[in-house]
Amino acid sequence: MSESNSFPSLPTEMNEILSIQGLSKSYKQVRAVLNLDLQILEGQAYGILGPNGSGKTTTLSVVTGIIRQDSGHFRWFGEEPQASQRRNIGSLIETPHFYPYLNLERNLRIICDIKGMPYGDIGRVLDTAQLTARKKSRYSTLSLGMKQRLGIAAALLGDPRVLVLDEPTNGLDPEGIAEVREIVMQQVQEGKTLILASHILSEVEKICSHVAILKKGELLANGPVKELLAEDEIIEISCNNNHALRKALEGSALVKEIETENGLLVLTLNEQVGPAEINTFAFANKLVVHHMLSRKRSLESQFLELVKEDQR
Amino acid sequence: MKRLIHIEQIKLLNYNPFRITLGIYVLAFALGLIIYPAIDKEIPVISLSDLFRFPDVWLFLTWVTEPYNILLALVVIMITTKEFNNHTFKTQLIFGLSRTELLLQKLLLVAVLAIFATLLLGLTSLALGLIYSYKLTFGIAMENTWILGRYLLSSFAYMSIGLLVALLIKNTALSLLTFLALRVFVDPVLFLILRKHEIKWYLPMRTTTRLTPLPDLIEIFSRKMNSEEPIDESALDIIPEGLPAWLNILLVLLYTSLAIFFSYRLMQRRRFT
Repeated sequence: MSESNSFPSLPTEMNEILSIQGLSKSYKQVRAVLNLDLQILEGQAYGILGPNGSGKTTTLSVVTGIIRQDSGHFRWFGEEPQASQRRNIGSLIETPHFYPYLNLERNLRIICDIKGMPYGDIGRVLDTAQLTARKKSRYSTLSLGMKQRLGIAAALLGDPRVLVLDEPTNGLDPEGIAEVREIVMQQVQEGKTLILASHILSEVEKICSHVAILKKGELLANGPVKELLAEDEIIEISCNNNHALRKALEGSALVKEIETENGLLVLTLNEQVGPAEINTFAFANKLVVHHMLSRKRSLESQFLELVKEDQR
Repeated sequence: MKRLIHIEQIKLLNYNPFRITLGIYVLAFALGLIIYPAIDKEIPVISLSDLFRFPDVWLFLTWVTEPYNILLALVVIMITTKEFNNHTFKTQLIFGLSRTELLLQKLLLVAVLAIFATLLLGLTSLALGLIYSYKLTFGIAMENTWILGRYLLSSFAYMSIGLLVALLIKNTALSLLTFLALRVFVDPVLFLILRKHEIKWYLPMRTTTRLTPLPDLIEIFSRKMNSEEPIDESALDIIPEGLPAWLNILLVLLYTSLAIFFSYRLMQRRRFT
């Protein structure tokens, strides 16, 4: 699936958009990203979740060419990174930066010139960001929320295939957050590939199909949001007769799904069902449980702990 | 190329400090046209207007306006460091310019300003020459116009050094100060320290200023007083001491290339956050 070289514009689900291999970056003594591997495919809405300082911005800064990695490599659209690829990517890394003395229209003209496209699209993106009324205002006169929206408008210029957004709702009021999320979700629905860095669990849950969780520059887990952050509780369990337990559970209304993994049963529980019910059920079937672990809970609580540590 | 120039054009033509500095620069030339003839009336015996005749006007005005190049270098420094302050190098990178294009953009600005300055000097010299010359032949009028080529090089060299300083220091005030210190303090002091050694002529700023040296005023005035006497060839040598002209030009080309090379290296390695 990574060999999309010959058909870079083929809009199949399997097209590789971004692949990162062994990426590492340190700032003097501080390790920002360590040996990160990620692969993002066309049409995915990929969340990069982690508390501040977990390496999200560094990762996105490397793949958008602002900083150079110490080691490892990455590929866009299955090809070696080049500046011209970034013209097909709409990015907003941290806070947007424009020429403070130029008005919004002129600032966007500069972006159009960089991307080598006509100015015709400026009206559309200003509309989307609800900034049309301010198009003749200097950038320096905008409020924080408006600046953020202009950053998103600039990212949308030329209708790029890929959006790279780093904390797009940071520093916005609740209304601003809702507006920005709506714009982003609209883009995802249109089939754009989204790479979204965020420290807000619920934001990633709402917008993204896939998620990678970073902690101190290392990848903690990644996969579909449904599996990693779903409301469904997933537990792994083992007893003296796993086969018998599986059969018994399949006939019950306790679980949605049962899988076998390394000799353990992995159960996706139905709502209102907890580990206690499973244990009771096993006991009633004369089976002795000797291992039981809640998977999803551990991941979520781990993440919440990360965020808590960070906010202290 | 056109794309890069157009981007710079949007940025600069709407930037007040740029417009004002460039305005001052043009005004300085215009004032020259008014002020020098005015001074002339207060100096007896010799007449400054002799210096405004073809073909001497080219050499004289080039020497007079050479320090104006400092102003242009300051403009380049101001504009480049502003890109750091506003984090707009980062924005341009994100949206698809390469690091090489970021440098190329600034070098194109340097080239355009150098051409602009040379044109301005050429037009001013031409105007003064036409006003003050007695006998006008095309040959005499065009003699010495080669100095404009040197002016172009010196102004390009100054701004390239300014660009390197800006990319190295990033801070506007510190960069401006460093460049001015190099030009008006470090270079003269080093020149004095090294006065007994031939190497004093090899200092970067010195070689650049010597591209457009003070013309031989004594020769010009004596030529006027004894106009019947044949002109001594050696008196026409406009670089009476120091390095031969070709070596001087070669050195400036070398220093300019070095400044661009190091600017390129800095651009490739910088973290634009």
